[in-house]
Amino acid sequence: MKNIFSIRTLTSILYFLAGLALLGGIWELIAYITKYEIPTPLMTWNVFKEVVQNPMQNDPDTKGIGTKLLSSLGRVGTGFAFGSLIAIPLGLLMGSNKIVMKIINPMVQILRPVSPLAWFPLGLAIFQDSPKASVFMIFICSLWPTLINAAFGVASTPQDHKNVGKAFGFSRWKYITRIMLPYSLPHILTGLRLSIGVAWMVIVAGEMLSGGIGLGYFVWEEGFNGGSVAKILVAIIIIGIVGLLLDKFFMSLQKRFTYAI
Amino acid sequence: MTQKAITVADEVLDAALNPLPSIVIDGITVTFKTPKGVFTAIKDISLTVKKGEIVSFIGHSGCGKSTLMGTISGMVKATNGTVTANGKIVTRPGPDRGLVFQNYSLLPWLTVYQNIYTAVDSSVKNKSAKEKQEIVENNLHMVHLWAHKDKLPGQLSGGMKQRVAIARAFAINPGILLLDEPFGALDALTKSNMHVELLKLWNLDNREKTIVMVTHDIEEAIFLSDRVVVMSNGPAATIKEIVDVPLHRPRNKKEIVHDPDYIAIHDHLLNLLIQKFSIDDIEENEEDEN
Repeated sequence: MKNIFSIRTLTSILYFLAGLALLGGIWELIAYITKYEIPTPLMTWNVFKEVVQNPMQNDPDTKGIGTKLLSSLGRVGTGFAFGSLIAIPLGLLMGSNKIVMKIINPMVQILRPVSPLAWFPLGLAIFQDSPKASVFMIFICSLWPTLINAAFGVASTPQDHKNVGKAFGFSRWKYITRIMLPYSLPHILTGLRLSIGVAWMVIVAGEMLSGGIGLGYFVWEEGFNGGSVAKILVAIIIIGIVGLLLDKFFMSLQKRFTYAI
Repeated sequence: MTQKAITVADEVLDAALNPLPSIVIDGITVTFKTPKGVFTAIKDISLTVKKGEIVSFIGHSGCGKSTLMGTISGMVKATNGTVTANGKIVTRPGPDRGLVFQNYSLLPWLTVYQNIYTAVDSSVKNKSAKEKQEIVENNLHMVHLWAHKDKLPGQLSGGMKQRVAIARAFAINPGILLLDEPFGALDALTKSNMHVELLKLWNLDNREKTIVMVTHDIEEAIFLSDRVVVMSNGPAATIKEIVDVPLHRPRNKKEIVHDPDYIAIHDHLLNLLIQKFSIDDIEENEEDEN
């Protein structure tokens, strides 16, 4: 049994390395074509090593990459937490009550397609403060996927499960805690996973608007203030990896709470 | 004094000789509103079921058997007529009627033990936690699943899941057990085992529980029941015929098929339910009426 496990992980590692090699190959090609305006993987690696020196440095003029990362994560975390705190209960309510759904759903459908960045100026007007406006922007865009998925989870609770509650006289509280919530939980987690994905994308763009000390602002600095392209690529890689980790975290939670019938 | 004694004696005698029926179905009609108009599922059904009787409803798909069962359990509201169970008119599900569904309906995130305990906890009042735990343990032992009490439904086979569902229904100690195609999703061998297990459980309880079952399976209906109620085809289905099954108990799967009475009942039910017995019965160019 252990052997099979090793072979399987070995092959998936091999596939992963093959993918990396392919990416590296394309990268080299692009670097060559753009006459090294875009640096090669090797050049980028050197800059990467340089960038991750003193990651937690927090002086007024120089900040380590770790500090910047934590700054972005902090803003995302705050906005996401507030958004989820509202989206989950509201979504559960919408899913269980047709009237609430009919009233709130049109608003959701109108507001959802609005680019999250458009909420930034609104946030500025309300809070008169750039970081707070960023958090506001994250808050708004974290709402929709969680809300919709939570509502869907509740609304799609199978009649068979509901019948169990009816047949055995479950109290309202028991129905909610033993049937509705456990069934909806994987859906809520899906919503959270999608929300955090959007939020992480938006903070990078948002920091370009708002300034500050996050990763997004770092990209903006290097990109528009004549910095090094290599540093931009390094930032992109770090952003990508963090996004992947966040996604994997919620995915594993979702799997844990999905039960076979 | 003597006069009072005589009245009491009369009442006791009366109750003994004419026990209150377990279920009285009185002129039940169920209609549903659909976008295409009013759909009548079942119409004017009346039936009395005695305490401790086992009755099966059998019929083609769509003949309203489950709907009829729903009016007894209280999951379906009748448009006309009433159902009285254990002396009370049925308005909603209650702990006096245990339900077993076709699709197990165990809650996937609760263990076997928790599934039954939650049901007992919700249905049974006036019992301490310890007593409830005992009930769960006893019923799990009865279906031989105590060793699996901490497993999740996803880890059980179909037969095991259904045994848990039956244990759950028995655990609330209902006077009436309602089984809606309980073995429909099981393979034939498991099904056969379950028939015998169900009768064993019924026996252990001194044959006091009234059992009403919905099924498609003629052999199952005859083997288990005292009476088989054959439904006509829907819509507006009614009772086509009630067939008595006076075969003696305990019934034996192997011996029963050689019993001439069984064979007669089996043939009769076949005639009531099936039109095409061989390829000779199918006309050329016949349009499918279903």
